[in-house]
Amino acid sequence: MKKIDVKFIAQQRSIDESSREIIEKAINEGIETAWDRLEKQQPQCGFGQLGVCCNNCSMGPCRIDVFEEDGPTKGVCGANVDTIVARNLLDDLLVGAAAHSDHGREVLEVLLDTAEGKAQGYEITDVEKLKIVAKEYHIEVEDRDKNDIAKDLALKMLDEFGTVKGHIDLVNSRVPEKTFARWEKAGIVPRGVDREIVEGAHRVHMGVGADPTNMLLHSLRISLSDGWGGSMMATDASDILFGTPAPNTSFVNLGVLSHDKVNVVLHGHNPILSEMIVKAAGDPELKALAEEQGANGINLVGMCCTGNELLVRHGIPLAGNLLDQELSIATGAVEAMVIDYQCIFPSITETAKCFHTKIVATSEKSKVPGAIYKEFHPETALDTAKEIIRIAIENYPNRNPNRVQIPNKPMELMAGFSEEKLRESLGGTYKPLIDAIVAGKIKGVVGLVGCNNPKIKQDYGFVALTKELIKRDILVLVTGCGGVAGGKAGLLMPESAKLAGDGLRSVCEALGIPPALHMGSCVDNSRILVLGANIAKELGCGIEDLPLGGGAPEWYSQKAISIAAYFVSSGVYTILGLPPKVFGSEKVVDILTNKLNDVLNAAFAVEPDPVKAADMFEAEINRKRKALGI
Amino acid sequence: MENIFIRPELCIGCRHCEIACAVEHSQSKELFGMLNEIPQSRPRIHVEIGVDFLTFPNRCRHCDPAPCIQVCPTDALYRDKDTGNVLIAYNKCIDCGACAIACPFGIITFHKVPEISFDREVNAKCDGCIDRVREGREPACVEACKTGALVFGEINQLIRNSRKDFTIRMIKSQGADVETSKIPKSVQQYREILKKIAEIGPLPNS
Repeated sequence: MKKIDVKFIAQQRSIDESSREIIEKAINEGIETAWDRLEKQQPQCGFGQLGVCCNNCSMGPCRIDVFEEDGPTKGVCGANVDTIVARNLLDDLLVGAAAHSDHGREVLEVLLDTAEGKAQGYEITDVEKLKIVAKEYHIEVEDRDKNDIAKDLALKMLDEFGTVKGHIDLVNSRVPEKTFARWEKAGIVPRGVDREIVEGAHRVHMGVGADPTNMLLHSLRISLSDGWGGSMMATDASDILFGTPAPNTSFVNLGVLSHDKVNVVLHGHNPILSEMIVKAAGDPELKALAEEQGANGINLVGMCCTGNELLVRHGIPLAGNLLDQELSIATGAVEAMVIDYQCIFPSITETAKCFHTKIVATSEKSKVPGAIYKEFHPETALDTAKEIIRIAIENYPNRNPNRVQIPNKPMELMAGFSEEKLRESLGGTYKPLIDAIVAGKIKGVVGLVGCNNPKIKQDYGFVALTKELIKRDILVLVTGCGGVAGGKAGLLMPESAKLAGDGLRSVCEALGIPPALHMGSCVDNSRILVLGANIAKELGCGIEDLPLGGGAPEWYSQKAISIAAYFVSSGVYTILGLPPKVFGSEKVVDILTNKLNDVLNAAFAVEPDPVKAADMFEAEINRKRKALGI
Repeated sequence: MENIFIRPELCIGCRHCEIACAVEHSQSKELFGMLNEIPQSRPRIHVEIGVDFLTFPNRCRHCDPAPCIQVCPTDALYRDKDTGNVLIAYNKCIDCGACAIACPFGIITFHKVPEISFDREVNAKCDGCIDRVREGREPACVEACKTGALVFGEINQLIRNSRKDFTIRMIKSQGADVETSKIPKSVQQYREILKKIAEIGPLPNS
């Protein structure tokens, strides 16, 4: 066999040095990763990629001949290409919105249990935020016990899922009037989180919706019930329970794993159990047990958005983003990977079998064959957390030091820029930021969010685009895997302001902040919405009037479709680095990239090339600046 | 002579032809039945990516003269007189791989087939769906192809069609701004995006 150039392959797969090092190790040791599976999957079906395959009912599966040769132009039911493409997009988007929102519901349930004294180990941490949000729901807060307020709030928020009040309450208090008026005119005011998702699923059924425009508008309404509903409540309830993030510094990349401590990777999205694991790791008995087993302590590290949640609130170091999950195990140094849900590769237990690593599944919704199962319940959360740490500690002696390889240069990063703390640091008002934008020191603000996708060199999309944008005096906000990517590349430190244009650089240096601000996990994109809304309110305009942009340069997940859609629906021009499954229909592409502008003053675009994407952002920002007269 | 003509620009990599080929060459000739058969039926047509995620459905061209027939030391490979198809007598195949070495298209693969009871692999090449063609039907891969990338017929007629397309394009194209390509705009846009992704990703690019 021809000797494969392992170094070259690693360079093609990732830009991050620490990831590359372990990619090489994985190849040399025959450990399968997502990149290998991507290669095995080639070629991937063009019907599926273009969105013209409908696999919904048993008259099918059907697909349309996009070349309009002699092949089929309609499904068996009679749906044409525009209907099929729009219906598939609706289907994808509602899954994404459901994922965020169901996550939000679970945090609210813990909030309720905590308020009622049923949850073990939890308490209301941010009373101030509790009161602010409760007031938005017209809940009496004066002279009341925090748990009583929290109970009322949790119930009110849980009501948002199946509300019969007309529409989601948060929209009333948070969305600028002008933006809201656009939604009313387009008929996309979200009426309730569960309702929009269920109705979306209904509309996917054969013989319900055939009009692509109508289906796309409902898709936008679903996304708004996520962005201003499910995701936003996930953020708020997590802040109330665990504290509103404030800027802190920590470390990121696979180098945060420890040679002599028990390594526990916390992977997934929902912080409710991992918060208890953080608490449990401080238990003196467990610390003693770790020493007894020959370890120098317990090292908790995050992965994906569970990692982001723990990073922004506690400064827990981050091991990486989506494509690092297998690599972390391939270091040979992980005693346990604790998973909650979303973005966990189903093959993760196969990867773990190559080493001593134990995968611990914790959610009834997210069981994985081959994992140890420790079901999470709020009533016993702390006990479960301790049990999990114990499993990890007792596994430490099984680590084979000869197979361990840990990259040695963790990168420092600053994270935790919640909307509240950002506003606070500016003096309680966005006036200084607005002044900087008016003066042209900052031209605009772009949120870079979303996932990794092995089709694009890991982190390249984020890092190259971030660099391009800050160079042009465009402030970047990052969340999710994008936050991790920026962190690994060193862009999330105040020192990287030197890579920014003179204007942005001067602002960053005056405030001591990085040119790319880490705002949290992927449900925390809601923080970006609130930030946009609060700036718009100060200016008396709509979010759609502001020089903002959104980008998901390496997205893969249906959740990213929902995020992109609620950005656009909220008036934020959004560029995707990979194409959604819509290119089979010129009509759908035209609505999404063009016609939406008339309704929302924002639209979607697709552009993988970071320099071109930056050009497009700049043009959009200039368009909006001009309209504002600045 | 009848043969399969390939228009690679219309291939979108769905691999429907591969499935249809495996079903056609299975014992039950039926998808769900096929999955339980031993030996497992395998496709004799191969859709693989080249660069920029573009694909080509590669199958036996039934050459004449056929290099594989010329080198086969046991005369296992032969030509069907009626159809011109290059066929194989599985029981004569000695699994030497000489045909695969000679094949200019790299489409010969060795698998177990149900037609022989020996426990060994043989050249399991495309037979041009000779049974179907004798019944006046198209080969299975052609029937499965919904985009017109695989077409079956009298080869000169098929080539003439392509030539006519080109002639029309030449005549209609009265300047660089007149686009007469048959590929729809959105698919062109899509392919341009894929090309860019290939440039910044780990898979082969141009």
